[in-house]
Amino acid sequence: MPGAGSSAAETALRLALRALSGFALGLVLWRAATPAYDRVLAGFAEPVIRLFERPPATRLYAEGSRVVVDRADFPSSSDRPALPVDDLTFDVILLLTLAATTRGLFRDRAVKGLALSCGILFALHVAALVLAVESFYATQLGAWSTATYGALARNVWATASHFWRLAGCFAAPFVLWWALIRPAGSDAPARGAAPKGSRLRRKKA
Amino acid sequence: MQPAQKKFLIRFALFLVGFYGLVAIQPVNDAVVVPFTVLLVKASAGILRGIGEQVVTQGTVIRSTLFAVDVRNGCNGIEAALLLLAAMLAFPAPPKARAAGVAVGLFAIQGVNLFRIVSLFWLGAHRRDVFELFHAAIWQTLLILLAVGIFLAWGRKLRGGDGAEARA
Repeated sequence: MPGAGSSAAETALRLALRALSGFALGLVLWRAATPAYDRVLAGFAEPVIRLFERPPATRLYAEGSRVVVDRADFPSSSDRPALPVDDLTFDVILLLTLAATTRGLFRDRAVKGLALSCGILFALHVAALVLAVESFYATQLGAWSTATYGALARNVWATASHFWRLAGCFAAPFVLWWALIRPAGSDAPARGAAPKGSRLRRKKA
Repeated sequence: MQPAQKKFLIRFALFLVGFYGLVAIQPVNDAVVVPFTVLLVKASAGILRGIGEQVVTQGTVIRSTLFAVDVRNGCNGIEAALLLLAAMLAFPAPPKARAAGVAVGLFAIQGVNLFRIVSLFWLGAHRRDVFELFHAAIWQTLLILLAVGIFLAWGRKLRGGDGAEARA
């Protein structure tokens, strides 16, 4: 069929354009929202970390593209460590790019799926920041780390944080898109929504 | 979500954790991941010299008088490779098609990753203002998108154009 090749090329081109738009939008949003987003992230992660502490001592605040870790028991003259958070949060670009490739993205169910995915991703970002701070406490503060964290705890925090940075942060947007956005925005009409006389309606009957 | 899709996601998560466990083990890291990264660094340095950069390598480090990078896990394409491997193994496919998909996919990922390292080094040396943006966000996203794209195209081809999600 002479039209088949060009039709496939058109489909691929449309998909690439949608991906590119999602990527550009994601990148711009991420860049623009990062300072405010990091502040919110620090605000949510701080009470979670303090839950693990007796007495609660951690204070987090965003500064540039990092989150500064402060503790009530740090010497007042010492520098405050700062953790990079860009590589914890950039995966929202990935989610938005994948979402943009979904046909029917503006259907109710797909929009809900995208909103739910963004909410879950935010919760995962908070968890990732908690893991990063706990991993820092457990492995980077010398004698204090070994005195405060047992061998098992040190390994658990460090492994969990490393897993997130190496695999989890990339897999999460893919899984969210696959599970919540793509099925909701697929080309197939929802059951019962097929036009009268269509194959879907006939099959169901 | 259909049961088959749920099954795919569960298998994907298990494979991902399993592969992560494998590459995180110190002997595997020392015997496989680090030597592979050193090879990648040497190849990148060769390309950089080809485009006129005066670079030397030392283990996983590429250095010039202008800039230096240490290529570690996360910069050696291993994260995209893990994702692709886990997705392809979790997806129902004949062994031959799976092996071909994995081989072609890993080759493509590493080819693009080579370009990523070279371009990041060049940006670090000559356009430091945008290096961090490309390093932390743009290239990482593009490499994972490549892995996802390869997986979806492979699934589509395997299923005769249905799309990977249709029967996963």
